[in-house]
Amino acid sequence: MRRVALRTFVSLATLLALLILGLACGQVSDLWTLLALCLLMLIGGFLRFSVAPNYLASLDSVVLMTVYVIAGPWAAVIAAAVAYLPQVRRRIPLIRRVFNGAQRILATAAGGIAYTLAGGPVGDSALSHEGRAIFATTAATLAQHVANAALVCLVIWIDGKASPVEFLRQVVLPTFLPMAGYGFLGLLLAVLWLGGLGPLAGLVVLVPLLFARWALSQYEVEKTAQAATMRAFIQVIETKDLYTRGHSERVSEGVGMLGRFLRLSEDRQNALEHAGLLHDVGKVGVPTSIIQKPGRLDDSEMDAIRLHPARGVELIGNIPFLEEVKSAVLHHHEKFDGTGYPAGLSGTNIPYFARIIGIVDAFDCLTSTRSYRPARSVEETLAILEQDKNSHFDPGLVDAFVRLIKKDGWKAAEVDQPAPDANVQAGFDHDDLSLGSSGGASGSAAGPT
Amino acid sequence: MTAPGDVEGLELRKLGSGVVIVLAGVGLGFTALLMTARNGVTEWPFVLTFGFLIAIGEMVQFKVDRSRNRAPIATSAALAYAMLRGPSLATPPDVAQIIAVTFVATMVGVGPRAIAGLRWDLVVSCRRVLSVACAAVVFAAVTPADLSWNGSWRHAFPLILAMLLGVLTAGVVDALVGAGQATERYNKPFPASLRDELMVMGQIGMAMGLGGVILAAGTSLLGLWAPPLVVVPLLLTQFAFRRFASAQRTYRTTVRSMARSTEIAGFSSPGQNARTAALAVAIGNDLGLTPARMEALEYAALLSGVGQLALADPSPGGASLLRSREERQQAAEIGASIIERSGVLDHVAEIVRHSNDPYRQGRANNSDIPLESGIVNVSLAYEQLVGEGTGQSPDKAMESIGLGIGAEYDPVVVESLRRVIGRGFRF
Repeated sequence: MRRVALRTFVSLATLLALLILGLACGQVSDLWTLLALCLLMLIGGFLRFSVAPNYLASLDSVVLMTVYVIAGPWAAVIAAAVAYLPQVRRRIPLIRRVFNGAQRILATAAGGIAYTLAGGPVGDSALSHEGRAIFATTAATLAQHVANAALVCLVIWIDGKASPVEFLRQVVLPTFLPMAGYGFLGLLLAVLWLGGLGPLAGLVVLVPLLFARWALSQYEVEKTAQAATMRAFIQVIETKDLYTRGHSERVSEGVGMLGRFLRLSEDRQNALEHAGLLHDVGKVGVPTSIIQKPGRLDDSEMDAIRLHPARGVELIGNIPFLEEVKSAVLHHHEKFDGTGYPAGLSGTNIPYFARIIGIVDAFDCLTSTRSYRPARSVEETLAILEQDKNSHFDPGLVDAFVRLIKKDGWKAAEVDQPAPDANVQAGFDHDDLSLGSSGGASGSAAGPT
Repeated sequence: MTAPGDVEGLELRKLGSGVVIVLAGVGLGFTALLMTARNGVTEWPFVLTFGFLIAIGEMVQFKVDRSRNRAPIATSAALAYAMLRGPSLATPPDVAQIIAVTFVATMVGVGPRAIAGLRWDLVVSCRRVLSVACAAVVFAAVTPADLSWNGSWRHAFPLILAMLLGVLTAGVVDALVGAGQATERYNKPFPASLRDELMVMGQIGMAMGLGGVILAAGTSLLGLWAPPLVVVPLLLTQFAFRRFASAQRTYRTTVRSMARSTEIAGFSSPGQNARTAALAVAIGNDLGLTPARMEALEYAALLSGVGQLALADPSPGGASLLRSREERQQAAEIGASIIERSGVLDHVAEIVRHSNDPYRQGRANNSDIPLESGIVNVSLAYEQLVGEGTGQSPDKAMESIGLGIGAEYDPVVVESLRRVIGRGFRF
């Protein structure tokens, strides 16, 4: 049903686009100018850059403004069609390729209508009607982007696989203003062109745009590099204990799921994932002999363990994270009833992120294999969390987490871990609820002892 | 590590040649101001608009790389003001007025930053005044007075060529001054500093310069409609760039923090990694390495001990000289594979891998081993001998390192170390 609707919609859009294109071909007057503009559009089309994750914008929407001003809306339609040609070879399903082409032509036509309605000057008269040109270009940019977004939203809605609202929120809103702002450069390009430079103006204007593109891509590069470095580093710390391998990354993933479930803003979502990844980083300061020691720990050894949150903050203190990351690392072993460490905070005095990490931390520990016990099942663990929810955890967050896991499931710890060792009497994991007062809970989750 | 180059505000003690630059900039500015006051100001609306842009650009400057302050909008606006022509302007501003406007607006922009306690740097601002002055002189000299943007390519082409020449002049002057300063601060050979500066000029400098060209040509054609049209995209680009610069800073501090993990774990004494890195950077500068290699070198020196984390027991005091060579090489190998795992620091991993190879069995016969490994090796050894706790005198340490030239240590690096220590490098 949806398939048919989708095909009908795309066919209709394509027919309309072809009709407009045909009309436009009848309106060509200055072939050489049009050719030069098409060439510029092609160059602009090659220079794509990511304005948001998974979303590429190309510079041809900037050049499009130039075409409106120099040669008028009809020429813009032709230029937009030509600029799309190289992308026909992209490896995506045929229906998407067809739709993308039609979408471009229709959006360009919408921009052209806006440009004409706003009384935009075409050709040399733009130099003497500056105000009008600026107004009409702004209108055209807006109309073009709105038409683009509307068409994509329609397709997403008909297709039914993703939410059009999400698309608007994640892609259209953040990119709208920047793309409109860069559209002004298209007008300037036209002005320099008409002012005597001709196609050479393209060279002068495209270089700053290229630089903008470079800066945008470098941001992603640095972000990726940082994430990769942090993960490698965490793995080093985890080599100290075979059983906790992958723990930090799973906690980071788990708090990420919970954060999205709680609809955190993007900044805080990133911060929460970082905090989840780094929460045990201070373990590097705990002697390996204590971490790997089989059997119960005495008080002084336990004190060494209790230092690890503060050590972690000491280590990451200089990294310009949000303040919430540091407080989460420091307080992730606090308990809701105030019996945790290092500060003995209780209730909502415990930082929000620390409460989130505390839950996922305990959950991952219980669902992983330990030297003294096999992994527990997810249902069993959720029941333990429910039982401890008023003593250890924030009850509201536990409810949210339980609902989330029941809905989306949990990837079990698939990292190769050594099997539990029957000879070990009571090994130790500082996160483990099933151990006595030293590590975590008492009573309900009583372990193998 | 506090690099000697982190001059902020006005600290005369550290400025060195900066004093000359500031004096030249301020002197030139005041002279131009006096001349303009006597001759009268032409085209006030343009003076105010561009002065405003320069001041705002100066106010929203930001920090890239280690010590360079950047105010791209101020630079573009000042360059553009130097290259305005008709039809919008009946009389283009003369050179004195251009310098005066740039100077006054720059000072107006720096003022609020200094009052608000933000980072400011008078030397960088004065460098801009000087390079814009050069661009103005060159542009005025090569452009006949009757050229204007009248719509014909006969006027437009010479104008755009003159503008590009002016912008290029400004870039080269700024690169020369910057290279001189880098040579003075970091004792980097002048040709290497100039190469680095010219490379930066080719990227950021070109974008700023062409931004100025577009602004100038647009304003000449459209009048005061043009500045907002150019400034909006420039601001967007600056925003993107700023975000990038802050991500880069975060990344760098992350690597530094990682390096401190060996100290927290008790494998090295507090500050040991930072001291080793400071020395390695000084040697790298002395040998004129490119910025990319310098960065890898610094990371490698910081992270050289990270392999010890996988070893069970910390060695007392972190004295890796006390360990056997096999053990050190094994730790270096483990460290390299840890660093490699990140997938983004392969070059750093390569340096760390060979950082404990003796010269004779390593670099002397295998040119694939990077020079940086030799630098890290020597830096580690020198830090062990002189650093906190062990406390030998630099001369004595030099002597014992000298015994290992050619066998243990790379002669080129030891020679460089001698120069660095001779110039007064102390931890």
